[in-house]
Amino acid sequence: MQLARSILLASLAIAPSIAMAEDRAEVSTTLFLETRDGAAGGLRVLHPQADFGIDLGRFVTFDLGWTADVVSGATASVYQVDAVSTATKFEDFRNQGNVAIGFKGKRSRLTFGATVGTERDYITRQFGGSASIDLPGRNTSVAIAYTRSIDQVCDRENADLKPLERKALVGSDACDKKAGLIGKDGTMTVWRDIDMDTAQATVTQNLSPTMNAQLALYGQILEGFQSNPYRRVRIGPNAPQEHIPATRARWSVSLRINRYLQKLKSAVHVDGRFYDDTWGVVGGNVELGYSQYLGKSLLVKFYGRVFQQTAATFFKDAFYYETEATAGEYFTGDRELSPVRSAIAGGKITLIKIGGDKPVIGLFDKLQLNARADIMFLDVLAADSLETNARGIDKQFIYGNGLIDAITIQLGVLGNY
Amino acid sequence: MKHITTLLLVATLGLAACGRQAVRASEKQFLADQVMIFDDDPHQTSTNDHIRSNREGAAGGQGAGGGGCGCN
Repeated sequence: MQLARSILLASLAIAPSIAMAEDRAEVSTTLFLETRDGAAGGLRVLHPQADFGIDLGRFVTFDLGWTADVVSGATASVYQVDAVSTATKFEDFRNQGNVAIGFKGKRSRLTFGATVGTERDYITRQFGGSASIDLPGRNTSVAIAYTRSIDQVCDRENADLKPLERKALVGSDACDKKAGLIGKDGTMTVWRDIDMDTAQATVTQNLSPTMNAQLALYGQILEGFQSNPYRRVRIGPNAPQEHIPATRARWSVSLRINRYLQKLKSAVHVDGRFYDDTWGVVGGNVELGYSQYLGKSLLVKFYGRVFQQTAATFFKDAFYYETEATAGEYFTGDRELSPVRSAIAGGKITLIKIGGDKPVIGLFDKLQLNARADIMFLDVLAADSLETNARGIDKQFIYGNGLIDAITIQLGVLGNY
Repeated sequence: MKHITTLLLVATLGLAACGRQAVRASEKQFLADQVMIFDDDPHQTSTNDHIRSNREGAAGGQGAGGGGCGCN
């Protein structure tokens, strides 16, 4: 159920591997609420995180992290025009831990990390490393990172059936590990492999005493079972399990710029990104932010982001899958592969307490309390002709029809000691 | 693709070229400020990517942390 999320985590696996210790502790909890259509329910995710880092002497750092997802809500189990009527309620729990060890020199850093995550239908194992160096002059920093992810996803045992004959997993307990190979409802399941190689190169540059920039190049190759094992697509009278290519290569480039405004004690942030992959998805986003100090210990930030992408080449609107046929060999009901645009607006308040001669609450050199809230607007666009689509596309995903589609609230504490 | 590669090369060389003499060590006060650090809040960054990637097929590669090089 959480396949897409797990794939994301693989793509983010670089993050823990470049974690910077320097004796810090950070704990946060995020609540994500997405509205859904009418009585079909909603999506609620509680996402606690905890990270601790310590220096082991002058040259070695050690990081330990944990994160979880407590998910409940309803989603469309069958991708068809009236997705609402096919909504299935579910609950899920994901646990993930990561560890990293780093070696730092005067101008360089080398980090190795590993991550393990489990949920009832997905297992992820990742390892990777990163290296960074400040070039002479210490105005240019170059970093590279690589992560290998060896994952497994639970699937229904469809033996040698053709794609249009394959059945999806049904029910949330089919992959319950306590039940062994046969799920609680008697379904035969099998664990399928998915491997991911992710690489990233980053150049960070001081452009002036008040401006810096970061250029990042990212690439990822995914190989293996990438379908959602629970998702079915209505094709004529049948609803086989979705079927998408086993290989995907993706890359993106992003450029970010910060500019400090000395007189205002504030900063402006600009971020742009372009994305492309072998499934035909092309996308990009632009984000603008503004940070403002209010006194010595209060920092507020406002930001806005717009995003848009094209559909995968094999994606069709539900109406056309139902009434016509697939677009070649593959078919999917994954909204991430549909043409989507979104906008996010948010704000964050940070209360900063610096210890000085006396540590904050007797322990921290610096303590920060963070609170932020985002609102998200989502809009699924038509992938095919709307003129001949008698049913429209409004019901093919369980989207909310209200003005705001989702909100995010995050509270966190970060302490440096 | 060729144009993008060229653009990347030019951007990278441009960034690197203005690097060595761009800012003296004594001028890095503002670059060291936390508002100038890319991804200064790792939990916020990872949560954002977490949420967005479930709604965007074009996810990933927002950038690595760090930055404000040579400021500490």
